[in-house]
Amino acid sequence: MLIQTLVVTAIIITAYALAKWRHLSVELSLLIATVAGALGGSIFRTPEIREIPRHLVEGSFTYLDVILVFFTATLFITIIQESGGVNFAVRQAVVRFSKIRFLALFMLMIILLIPGALTGAGSVSLLVVGAPVALAMKGLGVSEKNIPAILFIVAGLAAAAPPVNIWAMVLCAGTAIPYIGFELPLGLPVLLLGTLTIIILGGKRAQAGSLETFLEKTQYHPAMNWFRLLTPFVVFFALVVAYRLWPFSFPILGLPLEFLLASLVALALSPVRLNLVRVASATVSKLLPLLAIMVIVGMLQQVLAVSGVKGLISYSVLIIPLGLLFCLLPLIIPASEGVLTYGGAAIIGIPLVWYLNSLGYHATLVIAGLSLLWPLGDGLPPTGLIGRLSLIVSGQEGKYWDFLKQAWIPWLIITATGMLMIIFSGHLRFLVIG
Amino acid sequence: MKTAGTGFKLSVTAVFIILLIAGGWPLRQHRHFPVEIVCGPGVTEVRNLSDYLPALKGTVADTPVFILSGREPGGSVLVMGNTHANEPEGMLTVAIMVENAVVEKGTVFLIPFFSRSASLNTRPGEGYPLYFSVRTPWGQKKFRMGNRDASPLDQWPDPDVYIHYPEKQMLSYLDIRNTNRTWPGRKNGLPMEQVTFAAMELLRQERVDLAIDLHGAETMFPVTNCIVAPEKSMRIATLASLTVKSMEGFENHLESSPEKFRGLSHREIGDYSDTLPFLLESPIPFLDQPTGAKTEKLFLDGRDEFLLSLARKKKLFVPYDESGWSLDRRVGQHLSVSLEIIRQNSRKSADRAIIIKNVPRYSEVVNNGTGSYFHNPALVEKGKVVKI
Repeated sequence: MLIQTLVVTAIIITAYALAKWRHLSVELSLLIATVAGALGGSIFRTPEIREIPRHLVEGSFTYLDVILVFFTATLFITIIQESGGVNFAVRQAVVRFSKIRFLALFMLMIILLIPGALTGAGSVSLLVVGAPVALAMKGLGVSEKNIPAILFIVAGLAAAAPPVNIWAMVLCAGTAIPYIGFELPLGLPVLLLGTLTIIILGGKRAQAGSLETFLEKTQYHPAMNWFRLLTPFVVFFALVVAYRLWPFSFPILGLPLEFLLASLVALALSPVRLNLVRVASATVSKLLPLLAIMVIVGMLQQVLAVSGVKGLISYSVLIIPLGLLFCLLPLIIPASEGVLTYGGAAIIGIPLVWYLNSLGYHATLVIAGLSLLWPLGDGLPPTGLIGRLSLIVSGQEGKYWDFLKQAWIPWLIITATGMLMIIFSGHLRFLVIG
Repeated sequence: MKTAGTGFKLSVTAVFIILLIAGGWPLRQHRHFPVEIVCGPGVTEVRNLSDYLPALKGTVADTPVFILSGREPGGSVLVMGNTHANEPEGMLTVAIMVENAVVEKGTVFLIPFFSRSASLNTRPGEGYPLYFSVRTPWGQKKFRMGNRDASPLDQWPDPDVYIHYPEKQMLSYLDIRNTNRTWPGRKNGLPMEQVTFAAMELLRQERVDLAIDLHGAETMFPVTNCIVAPEKSMRIATLASLTVKSMEGFENHLESSPEKFRGLSHREIGDYSDTLPFLLESPIPFLDQPTGAKTEKLFLDGRDEFLLSLARKKKLFVPYDESGWSLDRRVGQHLSVSLEIIRQNSRKSADRAIIIKNVPRYSEVVNNGTGSYFHNPALVEKGKVVKI
């Protein structure tokens, strides 16, 4: 069994490497690796060759909900953007807080944290407020090289922040632990680490006098005002909060419909006449690589499971001696996210939590600590979901690794915090209330 | 004029459509594949869960309730399988009871497909087989492999966080389609809340003494190979656990139902009715993450090299050797422990006793195989076969 899974693993890696060598895109390379893995697995009848289409189709639905959220959230922010709302908001915020620079940056961090914290998706933070926040940072003199790095780190922290942390929820659902008591173990480190990130990467004013250039670049329709801008956001957050306030009388709309309703409000209030079909099709074009990768990662995950490679990955983590495991977790956890996105939490996280819990580590704090490490993987290839979005929304689609290098200090601090929370979970149990 | 680009796009579209049909058709067939259950000599009536909540009538969530009434009045028990349809040993256990049990005293309510929608669902990203078959004296009997949660085709969209009724505890959004997180249910709630509400109505209206919810869990999960019970059921659970260990030679330890974890059958049934709830977990190696390929064979024999290696490193919560943990052992355990719970309760309250005959116990199922207790639907009269 070990040999057969190793063979399939080698086929998948080789196919991916060959496709990349031929300069194919990440999406196509992953698709080729997935199909090669399925065909390689069929040598051992895992899966049977006639079952391959079913596995590919079934796997492609793994992240359907996430895909719908991505699309509707991007549609929402594109409408806000095209109506001039983004430029309006950022100009107002920067002008108002520019005298106390740290406070302005702190406010921008909070603005970036909120959508991700409410939805559990850092991508939503970037898609909803990423572009204006990037512009504002530029206006505040933050180094252009550092802006995508800040966006990436803070959006990752937003995804880890309470009340909705999808990794923690997947782990809680898989380990039969209630999703309670995460407010402090997640909220405190997120705020602290976010603040440290803006100080480290944005503390120094790198560009002098860029505020004027920024103001020139951020023109908007004269009829745009706070009411037109804020009402769609109020509608969106009201819909999110309404279910929490009246869970047994308010209908469950789901994030995609909530974004869509807010989009319609934004469209109705826009001072610029917008064509919804044109905006929607432009949104799809912009998001296509990202949506494609989510579809293909789902397929890959299915092929890894049916061929036994997924089990091999999980097994390999669990046989590592505890001391070595703690040394390797900072690499393993982000890497699993880079390859499998949320799938890593199920494959590695669930057995890991059980294992550490059986050794006396506090499960809630272990999950919280791991939840800080997973978002880092969203900057790693092959998916690099949040990393790529950070570059897109900040308009700096340059060399990927250059951007990632800028994030290394906050990356290390977050890793150290997450690991300390896991290792000293017993001492930190006072943080778990509820 | 046709260009090379158009030709390429057309070819890609054609490949996509062919793949979609070739891959989608088996999924459609799975959703419409009927599992046939033969009503055995003890079945006196077949109702539906919608008889206890008419709102379920005509929906996918409605499911048959088999009733086996004895000649003598006595107590009553509800046994449920497929609350999680990716743990089908519970469904097989209940199906064996439906096809074989004869009740002499009291009443037995049996729901083999508690979350019917989950049994029609698959698990994207996990690579499960769509079906599994057990060998019977008359050939292979085929069953659907389902998912833990109800199908999004039947209940969707999910909220970003699930808030449990009535305790308002926040749970994973995934659990809103999980019928072991929606107890005690809500009359006007979502379909899965209605399923558990209907079951609560059954328990209350029929004055059911015992409720047994049959599950399976990973070998790496601490709450496996056990009986989970709240305080009020603990005495009977303890006696059942000790008896099966001494009389039948297998372990089935006790776990107490946590008070702060809401939505589970072993907690809410006890809190919202007079019924004594029990949740039985048998170890399913197939569900563990660190296993080889997710094949039908792994599901049936429960043998896996990775798990064996982890067992040697003492990382599993159940004893595990080369023999694995077969489906027959899992079904046998469920049958014996269920019968023992019923027997212990009958000893405690004679007027509410339930006497069941003709249900195999652990050693019989292990020796004869699960399939040997299923009857050929082709050989019985049509009215006796229920398709679910």
